[in-house]
Amino acid sequence: MAEIHRGRAAFKFGFWLAVSVALFGYIIHSYTSGQMIQWYYYTASLDGYAVDANLSMSATKDKPVVLNIAKQDEVKGLVAIPVAKGDRLPRNANGVISLVELKSGKRAVLEGQTIKVTVPWQIKETKGFKFKDTFKHKGIRTNPWSGAWNVAMVLCLGLSLGLLAEGFTDIMGLKLDKIQHGH
Amino acid sequence: MFDFAIAGVEAPVFLLALVGLTVGIVGGFIGVGGGYMVTPALIVFGFPGYMASGIDMTHICGKGLVSSVRHRQLGNIDWTLALSMIAGTMLGVELGVRLLVYFKHLGISGVVLLMTSVGLMFVLFLYTQIETRRAHKQMEQMEKEGKEVGREVQTSNLPMLFQRIPLAPIIRCRTARVIVSMWVIVLVGMITGVLAGFLGVGGGFVRVPALVYVVGASTHVAVGTDLVEIVISGAYGALRHSIEGNVDMMAVLFMIVGAMFGAQIGSIATSYVRGPAIRYILSYSLILATLGAALRLVYVLTGQNVQWLSLAAVMLTLGEMLFLCLFISSLVYFAVRRRGGKWVPDWVGPLVI
Repeated sequence: MAEIHRGRAAFKFGFWLAVSVALFGYIIHSYTSGQMIQWYYYTASLDGYAVDANLSMSATKDKPVVLNIAKQDEVKGLVAIPVAKGDRLPRNANGVISLVELKSGKRAVLEGQTIKVTVPWQIKETKGFKFKDTFKHKGIRTNPWSGAWNVAMVLCLGLSLGLLAEGFTDIMGLKLDKIQHGH
Repeated sequence: MFDFAIAGVEAPVFLLALVGLTVGIVGGFIGVGGGYMVTPALIVFGFPGYMASGIDMTHICGKGLVSSVRHRQLGNIDWTLALSMIAGTMLGVELGVRLLVYFKHLGISGVVLLMTSVGLMFVLFLYTQIETRRAHKQMEQMEKEGKEVGREVQTSNLPMLFQRIPLAPIIRCRTARVIVSMWVIVLVGMITGVLAGFLGVGGGFVRVPALVYVVGASTHVAVGTDLVEIVISGAYGALRHSIEGNVDMMAVLFMIVGAMFGAQIGSIATSYVRGPAIRYILSYSLILATLGAALRLVYVLTGQNVQWLSLAAVMLTLGEMLFLCLFISSLVYFAVRRRGGKWVPDWVGPLVI
């Protein structure tokens, strides 16, 4: 075992613990405050109607959910807000029912100033697994900067947690020697 | 249960942390990202396939860094080797992705991908298993004769063949104790990068054997150096997935918490074993992953009608994680016993320090 400086180990542990807690707090705050979600549901990637897909999940062909087309800044209740490709998504919107989807009429139909959702769920296959696919996450584009933010956060987290663990084992007296390869 | 607003699912936080922990142990020990284990597990928890891939790749980047920090302390990272390989890896990943797009265009990407995975992993398993058994026997013989057994015993002649290539610049990797043409390292990075990009994985299960059997690095250095590559290729993958909107950071966060503990156990465990022990675990990981991929291949080839094949593939993958963790833990347990002068099974003796 290598020589251990307890004071330095305690400082290292304390410092990286503070950094890790701050990072965790910041990420959790960003998530719960809705900032990350706003970055995720950023703009429309195609022409269509922004909706709260959760509200139409109970729809069936016999009992379709009817969404009223309205022009407003926020999706409140059973409304669908027209958006063009590249438009900033209105608040609470979590998916876009595309014009192409409406034209095909397989899952939703445009009738005057309303959209009738008849099939909100469909079963999709991926890598040999089945999962339920909804209008949620559809037709959206994420803020590209959120990608850089995610990578920066995960790298900072990895580094701080790695050094935190190293500090912890140092304090516990488990400081490990470098392996002499080839000997 | 936690409501993951971005992924749009409710999933058990404890299980996410547990997956992070187990993959952290395995990844820290054999130097792989563990993507082939995490993605199916996340899908079982209800995450859509694209989210599972994105979360997996982002978590691998963070977990790789946690493990790398520990392997740096253990002296298992050869920075010359890692930096020389990066350019080849990145180029290879891009080529691999383009190859995948080409097969997607032909409409046969799923079958080609699974067949390549099964074929490649099986060949790697066979070679690693045969070579490691030979090394194991050699170590047993040396112990019987009372000779000192080093941390690494390797019986393959391939590294000598590649180290003889006289193509300048010839570089010296001090930690790996290897002198080799830089082009060999770049080529290893590129070929493993192509496979990683094509198969959509971090590529550790190809890169670690390549570093051992082509470059001639010791298994410990191969593991540590590969983890640095995983951080870089993982960061690139995480960026691409994040821009596509395939990442829920809260899920990543919970998995990294588990991975932090797992990566410590896995990384520190390497200091208790000799190189062949790591290669054994790697080869068992390869054969179990091959079986999982083979089951999925049969499922796809039978028109996705035999449902139990898909379920069996998932169960096998989850069972594999548990089996490998138990195997690693038992090796450390026996190493501690041996250090204390207590009895350990004959076959374990030469594998641990």
